[in-house]
Amino acid sequence: MRIVVLVKPVPDTTGTERLGDDLRLDRASSPPIVNPNDEYAVEQALRLVEAHGGEITLLTMAPAGATETMRKALAMGAHGGVLVSDDALAGACALSTARVLAAALATLEFDLVLCGIASSDGGGGVVASGVATLCGLPYLSYAGSVEVTDDRVRIHRLHATGYMVLEAPLPALVVVTQIAVGEPRYASLKGIMAARSRVIRSLSLADLGLDPAAVGGAAASTRVLGVRPPAVRGATRVVRGSAADAAREIVDFLDERRFI
Amino acid sequence: MIESIARVPAWPLALPFFVLGIAVFGLEMARHLRVFAAVAPSRPLHALTRRTGALVRYALLQTRLFADPRAGVMHYLIFAGFVILGVGAANAVTYGLVQGVVGAPLDGALWAAVLLLQNVAAVGALAAVAYALVRRLISRPARLAYTTSAVVILLMIGGIVLSELGALTFEAAAYGALPGALITNALAVPLEGIDAAILQGLFALCWWLHLALIVGFLVILPRTKHLHIVTSFFNVFLRKLEPRGQLPMLDVEREDATFGLRTLADLGWKDLLDGFTCTECGRCQEACPAHATGKPLDPRAFIMGIRHLADEAETGLNYIPNGPDVRRLPGMDDGLTPTAVARPLVDGAISYDAVWDCVTCGACVQACPVLIEHVDKIVGIRRNLVLEDSRFPREIAPAFTAMERSGNPWGQPASTRLDWTKGLKFPVPVARDLAAAGTLSDVEVLYWVGCAAAFDDRARRTARAFATCLDAAGVRFAVLGQEESCSGDPARRMGNEYVFQMLATQNVETLRRYGPPTIVTACPHCFNTIANEYPQLGGAFAVVHHSAYLARLIADGRLVPAAAGTDRGEGGGADGRARRRTVTVHDSCYLARYNGVVAEPRAVVGAVAGIELREMDRHGNRTFCCGAGGGRMWMEEARGTRINAERTRQALQTGAQVVAVGCPFCMTMMTDGLAAAQGADGVVALDVAELLAEALVAG
Ligand code: SF4
Ligand code: SF4
Repeated sequence: MRIVVLVKPVPDTTGTERLGDDLRLDRASSPPIVNPNDEYAVEQALRLVEAHGGEITLLTMAPAGATETMRKALAMGAHGGVLVSDDALAGACALSTARVLAAALATLEFDLVLCGIASSDGGGGVVASGVATLCGLPYLSYAGSVEVTDDRVRIHRLHATGYMVLEAPLPALVVVTQIAVGEPRYASLKGIMAARSRVIRSLSLADLGLDPAAVGGAAASTRVLGVRPPAVRGATRVVRGSAADAAREIVDFLDERRFI
Repeated sequence: MIESIARVPAWPLALPFFVLGIAVFGLEMARHLRVFAAVAPSRPLHALTRRTGALVRYALLQTRLFADPRAGVMHYLIFAGFVILGVGAANAVTYGLVQGVVGAPLDGALWAAVLLLQNVAAVGALAAVAYALVRRLISRPARLAYTTSAVVILLMIGGIVLSELGALTFEAAAYGALPGALITNALAVPLEGIDAAILQGLFALCWWLHLALIVGFLVILPRTKHLHIVTSFFNVFLRKLEPRGQLPMLDVEREDATFGLRTLADLGWKDLLDGFTCTECGRCQEACPAHATGKPLDPRAFIMGIRHLADEAETGLNYIPNGPDVRRLPGMDDGLTPTAVARPLVDGAISYDAVWDCVTCGACVQACPVLIEHVDKIVGIRRNLVLEDSRFPREIAPAFTAMERSGNPWGQPASTRLDWTKGLKFPVPVARDLAAAGTLSDVEVLYWVGCAAAFDDRARRTARAFATCLDAAGVRFAVLGQEESCSGDPARRMGNEYVFQMLATQNVETLRRYGPPTIVTACPHCFNTIANEYPQLGGAFAVVHHSAYLARLIADGRLVPAAAGTDRGEGGGADGRARRRTVTVHDSCYLARYNGVVAEPRAVVGAVAGIELREMDRHGNRTFCCGAGGGRMWMEEARGTRINAERTRQALQTGAQVVAVGCPFCMTMMTDGLAAAQGADGVVALDVAELLAEALVAG
């Protein structure tokens, strides 16, 4: 089975990221990591390949330096990667991103596309559905479990009151949640070493036959008008003491506020 | 011909008989050594004087055995008996050569002295064997496991000694008193009426029985724990000489290497020697906090497990060493196959759970009379699990990721590293700013804060107290602030050598940049790693623990503590004076045991007026871990009872009102332990710096 996982480098989630004057991310302020939601997709892909055999290709649209971040996902066990990188893409909107990724997917052979529910920086959560639409792929979202048979994929789509069982013929695009895989694996040193020699192919817009004026920052369909930090949360209260005392304190706290 | 020997019927057979025993012994040992040769190489031989010193101290004087005085005396009597009776045995198999030489001058007085010594040693050894049997069979201390082989060996030793005494007694009775052999001569007196032929027969019987038992002992020795009488000398001589707190380096760039220890073959031959030296005495097990709290880890079983794997690897091998010449002979190539030494250590010598139970406290290493090294091997196994298989308790993955990404196991941004300084009445200078201003050279000491003090609320209080002490003493100090990152200790001890080297390399670079004259830290883990492990990465820095630094400030008169509990610093309360008087010091493993810092925290505590120190039984280098070492801080403690609860119990037994600590992890563990314990009302855990800060009057 050939699986493509959409992976996005995002600023480290410890909260040191800064925006530049143009309200775009100052990439020097915070080292990039693999978008945590995408790690669940990589983990899901690894499990499918462990069960059924096959290959995993990472697909990323990001500045050229992103190969380093992609290697971290390769170290988990993915087999290769494609990085679409072009100066014209700085400031691209979600729609442009979907167009570029769809064009890149068209150059690849695959049975399944996996991705995370949203990026931790942009947080839009719409690129996946855009890609599926543009590629004409069945779109199965919020998967709490993923099963593949010969030519079909079946997922449990998480839902406020339970789950739905969805099934689609392959190739298809599945949005994977943490529920499906639990924690993503920690890359071993052997994995890190193996990742060094894996091939990451770089593609430009020209390679994909896309017009920079149509998908780049210049053509962005959305624009950031302003930013402000979130309101500071109230102080955390840490409950210490023996298990019994702590439990009583927590129950009292909740009871006072009529939560229970 | 020496008369004594000529009296023995068939005496010329003694030497061939003995040589036969030696030959079997030699062939068995050669088999062991073939497995040694098939595993990884071990450390080279260097520093021969230090090694010889260790040999005298641990093998000849057996200092470690006297930690348990009765067992120590018992063992020493048997050891001395063996050595001295050995002279007699050597005499017998050389047809009296020894006696001929020793007995020649001074009219035989020297040989008479040997016989006297033999008499005394034999009686001593006999008493010791009897005591040992009582322990094995009747009183049975917990650390001694009953094994048939142990009892058989004791009976054999008893037999060897008794037959020697018998031979000397009957010889005296049959042929007249032997000069010097006072005890056996006296025993012979009542036998004088017996028929001479019978006495002569009994003498011959005892004489041959003695030799037969010695030969029998040689034959079974290589397969029992008593092999330690041979191997312990080598094991002590070949001991690890590097600081005990320094784990071996691992080349993380070698693509074809096995990282860490996976199979028997990855162990060094010194590790196998450890296995063949273990006396199964159980001292390590008795000292182990994981074992004491009912966890599957048992350091003795681990070392014996290594020995069993090695034993298994050699089963089926011929006795004749399998050299190239031998192999050419038909039917002689039994080949030590690579699969024989490829048995995995996890589940072969130690269970997976036990590997992760270890707090790397080093109590086992400290207790072992023959200097076996357990910790380096356990971490070696963790390295393999982490670096090759990513197999570790799930809950430590976030700590690994956090150390890698954020430079600290809490996953907090570096920008908050100085938050602990908020509320201090004086500024805390940062090295980078001082360097920019050109005043870095004024700094006396660089305070390495450590991640705990930077991000943990409780440890931040300690940091403030320590900084308050420094400020009160007028010490010009600086911190690294955002440029500091985790020392790497937790990563290294959890087996993640890759992340350790990443963090350590960066820290060494940072520290080199500022070239601090001295580094002071309140974290024993940072202390140990910077002092003992950074040299492996080219960083040699002078590091002191804050307790030692404070003790020096007090000794120099730069800090003058007033009475306990005076409300002069942080943490002092109105009723502090009344409450905080009896103090017990909980020693951190990485401070006391690994680095010998024992007196200093006590000097600080003792300098505070009105404090009465109440020691726990296990203190100093015998301390009992708080439960957080070896990265256990970041793991759940699901198996057995909690180690910190046990340590808290020990602390409460002293009746002290304060548990003084010198480590942020001990602080967490003891604070939690006290919170959960019954009858701990009013008892608090305080860092030594906090005790001092409460009592400060600047000098
Ligand atoms: S280091 Fe401590 S916990 Fe680990 S085996 Fe030795 S005594 Fe037990
Ligand atoms: S390892 Fe050392 S302390 Fe432990 S049982 Fe063996 S000899 Fe005794």
